[in-house]
Amino acid sequence: MIVIMAWRNIWRNKMRSVVIMLSIAIGIFAGIAVLALYEGMMKSRVSTVIYAETGHLQIHDQNFKNDFDPKFILTNGAELLKKIKLNPKVKLAAPRNITNGMLSTTTGSAGIQINGIIPDLEYQVSQLKLKIIEGNTFDNHKKNQVMIGQKLAKKMKLKLKSRLVLTFTDTAGNMVSGAFKVAAIYKSDNAPLDERNVYITINELNTLLGIQHSFHQIALILNNDDDVPLVQRQLIKKFPGYKIESWREISPETDLMVKTVDQYSYIIMIIIMFALAFGILNTMLMAVLERTREIGMMVALGTNRTKIFLLIFLETVFLTLSGAPIGIFVGWLVASYYQKNGLNLSGMGQDMMSSFGFGTLIYPEFPADKLIGVLLIVICTAILSCLFPAIKALKLQPVEALRR
Amino acid sequence: MENKIALASTILDQETWANDTVIDAHNISKVYNPESIPVYAINNVHLHVQKGEFTALVGPSGSGKTTLLNLIGGLDKPDDGQIFINKIDITQLSANELIDFRLKNIGFVFQSFNLIPVLTAKENVEFIMQLQGASKSKREARVKQLFEQIELNDKLNNRPSELSGGQQQRVAVARALASKPQFVLADEPTANLDSKSAANLLDIMDKLNKEEHITFIFSTHDQRVIDRARRVITLVDGKIMSDTAAVSTAHAKENAEK
Repeated sequence: MIVIMAWRNIWRNKMRSVVIMLSIAIGIFAGIAVLALYEGMMKSRVSTVIYAETGHLQIHDQNFKNDFDPKFILTNGAELLKKIKLNPKVKLAAPRNITNGMLSTTTGSAGIQINGIIPDLEYQVSQLKLKIIEGNTFDNHKKNQVMIGQKLAKKMKLKLKSRLVLTFTDTAGNMVSGAFKVAAIYKSDNAPLDERNVYITINELNTLLGIQHSFHQIALILNNDDDVPLVQRQLIKKFPGYKIESWREISPETDLMVKTVDQYSYIIMIIIMFALAFGILNTMLMAVLERTREIGMMVALGTNRTKIFLLIFLETVFLTLSGAPIGIFVGWLVASYYQKNGLNLSGMGQDMMSSFGFGTLIYPEFPADKLIGVLLIVICTAILSCLFPAIKALKLQPVEALRR
Repeated sequence: MENKIALASTILDQETWANDTVIDAHNISKVYNPESIPVYAINNVHLHVQKGEFTALVGPSGSGKTTLLNLIGGLDKPDDGQIFINKIDITQLSANELIDFRLKNIGFVFQSFNLIPVLTAKENVEFIMQLQGASKSKREARVKQLFEQIELNDKLNNRPSELSGGQQQRVAVARALASKPQFVLADEPTANLDSKSAANLLDIMDKLNKEEHITFIFSTHDQRVIDRARRVITLVDGKIMSDTAAVSTAHAKENAEK
């Protein structure tokens, strides 16, 4: 009977209840929108890291990453590459040569990372081809071509066909230089990386470094994102002399972001619900004060204080939870639409998004796995909001209440 | 509760406590503003009510009728004196014990009906029995019986707002009787009713008193109620000025023997 009474009581003042339910629905929608947006941004960032920057896994010599000394090439790299390609879970394996150096033009110089690549493979592994905004892919018939990022091009005032000099040390420690011509300018979702990375063919870099048919890194793309830990374990076991890292280890900041973003979204949700709690509290307090005489009568007739508390508590929970399905449904509807069509955030500042490594087109995802968490937050809000009105109701003395 | 019952039993043993006694109040007083200008709402009142009485508390406004009802109903505590109901001194009970005591022993009818507006007539009556933990079948049977007695079988599923004042007050009487209390306290039950509804309500209560020996105590200004009462207690300034108890007691005994 208490449950029936609680449900009917919230409809005694329909307008007031509908307003608070809509507030709760909007609050929950806002929370879900934040969760969906964060989920989409994180997936987009992880996808960028894997498919445009690091790959799922990378293999290096144990010492290479200490100071990127070019002498630490992958021993028996060609054979290693051949064996890795046999793993059915590996989709693509691209060898790279990497060294740090300096880019010089007639107007200035900048520290950069020079990546020697096999163009056709790299176009698939890091989607380099898709990032080109000016110029063309490497022409097999031309020599000394370089591909640079848009941010570096702006900084060094470089255009297509501009000439530049790359200087670095070879495996013997000698300074070597090569003159290159800009063949293409690319732009990725990660502006800091665009500013730092230039690409030339692996053969030209090998010639300058003085190494023959070898490389510093193999980047792997797997068929399935979830296979990373398994394949990493398999490779470590099979090739114990090499350093085999997953994208999480190569890009720890992204891993940390993914791990903490859920907490941030819940904190935002809690802040929204905390603000709403005052609205719910006010509504319930009014409901209790309006019914002072009725509650007093119930106590006079023998309704104990536990049941009075339960009545107020259930009313608050019903009021709060009634708004929840509307908020969740609208959240799902909006998230589904943008998941399909994408949400363009370029208005928020493309440069800002890019400087944090995010693309401007985000595909939010409805956070179905977090719904239980959302509902728990809503119920906790209801409990907190009902405490004060319930205490007020419990303190009523039947004689005084009946006089009103 | 057990300790309180034991304590009360030491004061009123079986010999002292007559079997047909319902209320035994000794020297009760209730003072408002005791530290500034004391106002004696009830001043050293003795009251003995037996089973089956149909008693009216009368007196001018401010004479203490409602206060006396509140005290013997366990809604308020006296500043002095003891009130024994069913051998238990209710002045010694805590607030929570009093709630439980009222639920099991006392029925209330209020001037402004005070039905729960979101419950139907049937649910209002059932609510009390559900608080007592009665089974669904027992509740159903009792509701059927009570609604036959108050002649509102066709209004079981109506909300209070769909009932007239007289009908609401009859439902309130049914609610008061639902828990099979020791006695029913009715504070000005006919004050908000037209004469036809008031007469109808009094007929029902009179019938319940005569046929089922239910003890009713009213506070009232209404001459129609006073005319029907078998005992009339007149209060003035918190004191009992007159009491037709002798006549009433004889009548009650006659009722009890039936």
